[in-house]
Amino acid sequence: MSGGPTKPAVSGSAAAAIGAAAVLLVAVAVLWASGGGRIDLPWAPAWDLRLAFGVDGLAALYWYLAAGVGVLVFTYASAYVPRHLAHDERPRAEEWRVHAAMTLFLVSMVGLVTSEDLILLFVFWDLTAIASWLLIGFDRQKREARLFALMALLITTVSAVLMLIGILMLRAEYGTTQLPELFRLAEPGTTVAVAAGFIAVSALAKSAQVPLHFWLPRAMAAPTPVSAYLHSAAMVAAGVFLISRIHPLLALEPALLDALLVIGLASMALGGVLSLAADEFKRLLAFSTVSQYGYVTAMLGVGGSAGAAAACFYVLAHALAKSALFMTAGAVTEATGTKLLSESGGLARRMPLLAAGAGAAAAGIAALPLTIGFFKDELFFKAAAERGTWLAILAVLGAGLTFAYMARFWAGIFLGAPKGDVQHVERRLVWPVAFLGALVVVGGVVVAPFADLARSAADVTNGGPVDLKVAYHLDTRTENLMALGAWATGLLLFAGHAVITPALRWVERAGDAMGPERLYWGGLRLLNDLSDRAHDFEIRDLRSRVAAVIVPGGGLVALGVVLTPTAGAYAVGSFETEDIALGVTLVVCAIAAIAVTFPRGHLALALMLSGVGFALATAYALIGASDVALVAVLIETIFALLFVGVYALVPQQVLRREARRVEGRSRMVRDLVIAVASGIVTTLVVWSALSRPIPVDGMAERHIELADDAHGQDVVTVILADFRGLDTLVEITVVGVAMIIVAAAVRTRTRA
Amino acid sequence: MNLLYAIVIGTLFGSGVLLMLKGDLFRVVAGIVLVSNAANLTLMASGLTRGQAPILPLDPGEPVADPLVQAMTLTALVIGFAVTAVLLALSLGVYRSGRSVDLDDLSEQETEEALEREATDIPPDEAVL
Repeated sequence: MSGGPTKPAVSGSAAAAIGAAAVLLVAVAVLWASGGGRIDLPWAPAWDLRLAFGVDGLAALYWYLAAGVGVLVFTYASAYVPRHLAHDERPRAEEWRVHAAMTLFLVSMVGLVTSEDLILLFVFWDLTAIASWLLIGFDRQKREARLFALMALLITTVSAVLMLIGILMLRAEYGTTQLPELFRLAEPGTTVAVAAGFIAVSALAKSAQVPLHFWLPRAMAAPTPVSAYLHSAAMVAAGVFLISRIHPLLALEPALLDALLVIGLASMALGGVLSLAADEFKRLLAFSTVSQYGYVTAMLGVGGSAGAAAACFYVLAHALAKSALFMTAGAVTEATGTKLLSESGGLARRMPLLAAGAGAAAAGIAALPLTIGFFKDELFFKAAAERGTWLAILAVLGAGLTFAYMARFWAGIFLGAPKGDVQHVERRLVWPVAFLGALVVVGGVVVAPFADLARSAADVTNGGPVDLKVAYHLDTRTENLMALGAWATGLLLFAGHAVITPALRWVERAGDAMGPERLYWGGLRLLNDLSDRAHDFEIRDLRSRVAAVIVPGGGLVALGVVLTPTAGAYAVGSFETEDIALGVTLVVCAIAAIAVTFPRGHLALALMLSGVGFALATAYALIGASDVALVAVLIETIFALLFVGVYALVPQQVLRREARRVEGRSRMVRDLVIAVASGIVTTLVVWSALSRPIPVDGMAERHIELADDAHGQDVVTVILADFRGLDTLVEITVVGVAMIIVAAAVRTRTRA
Repeated sequence: MNLLYAIVIGTLFGSGVLLMLKGDLFRVVAGIVLVSNAANLTLMASGLTRGQAPILPLDPGEPVADPLVQAMTLTALVIGFAVTAVLLALSLGVYRSGRSVDLDDLSEQETEEALEREATDIPPDEAVL
């Protein structure tokens, strides 16, 4: 390990991660320049599952973001993570965990955005959740990190189960999970509405939209590069990506789009207010992300050409700027040691490059002219104004909030009187921010390439060509007036921050006191208690353990029997004269089985049990199974000897005490009810299994033919010793091991 | 025949379950034997054909009993035997360490020991939440 904590070299694992991201970036550039590409391989042909990947506009946009921002964030991480580990006095060797999980995340994200099959998409969806769990819980020695990693995992994967249900509903209705097929087949109706709604819920949870927004600020327990990546360009973006991806399905049901609009606006407002209230950098940025993806969700809810265009361009502009801001927060904390706005200030002169980069990024989010962000708001305002005046007013208010908290963030860190010392930080913590800031400004001047990419994505979302034109116009068109209104509102909120702070804090406290997060913790505690109780019951004694397996298992089987259609499922079967002997033997066997439950004495128990066994052996002999009958007789004889032999080793008074024991009446009734119920279920299951029609060809003929070739006369023996010889060898080994255990157990001397 | 097989198998299984719910370990073992008997009979009953024993030379006119289920049942019988033998030996071991073959006695003893330990030892790890 060379290099001190001040200037660590790039480790091998970090270099590998950066390299992977760079390769993927080049890959998407080449693929997209050459007009996309498709891979379609069979995966599970019996279920019609295919490994179908395709690069369309939407995939290209998110792939560019994941890989491009990935290169910068991974570079930043190569300097940040060693410092982070050093603060916690952990060995630097643990660094690879971050890089490996980030790379896993990047690859899953690329798989997710290019999947053309919903099942495949679901697999990558859960892979991203797993990678995010690893990353948020990176500080595994800290309890909060573990709890909040679990929170992010539970919220995103439990909601993903809804998505799976939705996918399977679509598959049941249309017989396919391929997206292009589905878009062609789907028609407005309850199935599509419910299925698309389920998928949307899971997407909204991933994008941290109200009311499932609370995991995102908690996920800030992750090291900063993780937040810069997952919580700006990748993980939360996956949610709005999915909504964009299935937008043609959602668009079939206007009510779903309206719901998206409402949820988006609510997230925009709540995120904005809480962001304005926050003091911690990363908390401010996390709520800002909630708010910004609220914009995107609302735009997807507006739908149509304008909505799709605004949403896709917004994602692009936001991801560039937001990662830069998260990285700024990390760099500032590393330089000054504080995480709070109230403890920072005046850094502009000490860290000019960082201030410039962060300023450009903040201006981008706040939508000032000469940044790419100006256009995101232009499109946003245009789509909102087309929808209606009320939405236009809400849009201006939302943008005003955004302006205010961005101004607070940047001014709070970089302006004012300097506070505290500033340590030197590596260049790698600064220049990714500067690069992204420069990109935000370049995008504000030369917007065409960005607009083209967003347009191709919006075409896919809209399911048709989209009109996306952005440019500066020096006139009094609606969008410009709305922008002016937003800046004025923002300035007012920023200037009057001290006045409105008590109200903001009140909202924050109200959210803590009765927000959805309390439901989460309450639910988790309830489940934990339930699981504890089930565990306590299960481990009480052997009987509870057996019951814990048999009762749920039997319940499920019984449910299956009840739910299976009964027509033709049960056939009494023929009973001929030659079956009389067998029938009588079987009845004797059943009577003997019931009789085993009666005797008190242990010797009688063992003899009755042998009775059942010998009756069964007779039955086997009657149905032409002479080998089985022979073995059954041998085994029953050894059983009787074994039982009696073990009795001989236990003192007589213990056995007598056991025989004399009287059970309580209620317990006897309970046991009897369970036994009879399980007997009836078994009867039904076996009956329906035996009633199934016999296939024309069994293996019997073939086995009999082959037996002769194997130089054997007894077909059963040939099967055991030859066709399935290896099985038999293993079986003999099992018996051998069992005998060793028996010998050891019997010989062990009693403990004093 | 189907129904008769099913009823007999159900009876074997039900009696086995009743025994398995008892406190006496030897009865629990006997219950397990009955349940595995039920399973073996199910295997045998699910043979596709019935008739003469599948031993060459065969009588050409007669149907032949399905040899495959017989091979399966043989394997199951032998494994069941090994399991039961181990269970009996373990019951003996339980008696030697607990001086009883009754589950109720044993769990009572265990609870008492656990309570004693709790009274003297430090409390167990704090819960997750």
